[in-house]
Amino acid sequence: MPQEFKELDVRSILQNGGQPFEEIMRAVGALQPGEGLRLFAPFEPQPLFRVMDSKGFDHDVVELDNGDFEVRFVPRTEEEVAISENAVSPELWAEPSVDLDLSDLDPPEPMQRILSEAEALTSGEVIFAVLSREPVFLFPELTRRGHQWVGNFDRDGSAYRIMIRIGPGATNA
Amino acid sequence: MPGVTISRWTMSYFAAALICLAAGLASTASGFGYPSVPVEAPESLVIIHLIAIGWLGLLFAGSLLQFVPVLASRQLQSPHLALPTLLLTIGGLVLLLTGFLGLADILPFLAWTLPFGGVVLTFAFASLCWMVIGTLVTNRPLSLPAKFVALGCAPLIGVAVMGLLFTLPLSGLTDNSYLVRLVLEAAPAHAYLGLVGWMTVTAVGVSYRLLTMFLLSPEKVRSTSRAAGWLMVAALAAVLYDIVFAGAGTGRKWPLDVAVAIGGTAILLYAIDVYSIFKERKRKSVELNVLSSLVAVAMLVISFILFAVSIAIGNVADMVIPIAYLFTFGWLTGLGLGQLYKIVAFMTWLEFYGPVLGRTPVPRVQDLVNERRASVWFLLYFGATSIATIALIHDVPDVFRWVTIAQLMAVCALAFEFIQARRLALVPASTKLPTGNAISRLFLPSFNGRS
Repeated sequence: MPQEFKELDVRSILQNGGQPFEEIMRAVGALQPGEGLRLFAPFEPQPLFRVMDSKGFDHDVVELDNGDFEVRFVPRTEEEVAISENAVSPELWAEPSVDLDLSDLDPPEPMQRILSEAEALTSGEVIFAVLSREPVFLFPELTRRGHQWVGNFDRDGSAYRIMIRIGPGATNA
Repeated sequence: MPGVTISRWTMSYFAAALICLAAGLASTASGFGYPSVPVEAPESLVIIHLIAIGWLGLLFAGSLLQFVPVLASRQLQSPHLALPTLLLTIGGLVLLLTGFLGLADILPFLAWTLPFGGVVLTFAFASLCWMVIGTLVTNRPLSLPAKFVALGCAPLIGVAVMGLLFTLPLSGLTDNSYLVRLVLEAAPAHAYLGLVGWMTVTAVGVSYRLLTMFLLSPEKVRSTSRAAGWLMVAALAAVLYDIVFAGAGTGRKWPLDVAVAIGGTAILLYAIDVYSIFKERKRKSVELNVLSSLVAVAMLVISFILFAVSIAIGNVADMVIPIAYLFTFGWLTGLGLGQLYKIVAFMTWLEFYGPVLGRTPVPRVQDLVNERRASVWFLLYFGATSIATIALIHDVPDVFRWVTIAQLMAVCALAFEFIQARRLALVPASTKLPTGNAISRLFLPSFNGRS
């Protein structure tokens, strides 16, 4: 899912000689889970980066045309990984033997390609694939065929990554 | 557990919906209801509810059962409610129509049929909302499309409860002055809640996901989309104000006008979003379902422009019905038929070929339909709808009825195309499934445990 941001502009507070720190912390406290903060400031707020880092946010800084800065604080996803019910210890899986970039294919072609590749592999082999969307219809079909999988979105939500471990003697239902 | 499977009863919803659409168009073509009698006559109410609940309501409900899990990437909450909800909707609608036919002296009038129908329909829609909201909340924070769909549930309950309240004075069960005034004053607000509040808000939300998916366009949260959502919330608040004060007898005309103006602004923002999604697409060739959706969005914008112009000219009273007609048949029905064309083929493909993907040659989803032939039917449908709107504006009922026949033909032809897709009649011979693979599942689910 695309990253959503709340916006906060502290330029006027600083211009009037105010201290925006509390305002910023209030905005951070009011963020929804997964939501980021887009902050506009007249300078790079270095001290804030440490504070936000300890709160679990990474940051990107963009200098605007007028010399001000836009800082995007993005919550570090606590590795929100989807995992199939039958998956065991994905960290011990073999290196992927097939690497697929399917991000330019129309749905449902990615599903079709992955299932075709899976048929050609032997038990224990691993497929890594990148897709433009979460393949929600693929998940049940993989599980039904006895394959294990783990997957998640990349940080800005523009691609979905999935690892599939081929099951023993895929079940023909 | 993430992942989505085929919604078992969605095809049954679609089949029932298409039958209601064809029945509504056939009745209109035969001269039953509006424009032969006033729009508030019971005969017209039969057609209006046949289209609004029977066609659009069942179409939207069936689609939501399949797509809300996609939006949430979770299995549907309480899927066992899908069939009871379908049966309650059909049962409630039949009671309602029987009541209206009774009021029109066509059937014997029984005072309890209308309120009983209202109660049954309220239960049906509450059950639908339970499944929809229950599924969406399992994956928070809600994505933008999910927020629109969730927002649409409030007016859906509102329109059902309001309809139920209408039935009490209509059946002569009460002469409570608040309710009587509500029936007299608040019917436009009732229509707004259903057609704009529920259906349009839902369609806008779902299309943000579907259009980006079909066009391979980046899915972003645009500020225009958020603004459209908040404007719809404001418009619904204005409608609520209108309803409460209409019943109290202190109603004014402005709240509903404000609701239309705000809703119209939201629609313009939505149209801008659709344009950006289209412009940023990676997929150059555009399929028929997207094309027909774009025509539907254009008709949505035109209906708002017509409304704005008629306010400027001062002939809103004459234009309300043609505009509501264009909105219902150009926008909602046009969009619905366009998406059905894709959804039926896709669900059929997934249902029959999903289990054998990668193991045997399978057709493409496009191979299940004949796009050239279907585009002729869509052209006929949208052409007829445009002419019908003009006929209503110029008040030529005969022309209106003739083009309704053309519309009916287009709808029946499209229904035939959907059946062809369901029967896998058009797939290349090399990808035909072995016989015995239950091709007969036209609109009922398989009962052998899978799918």
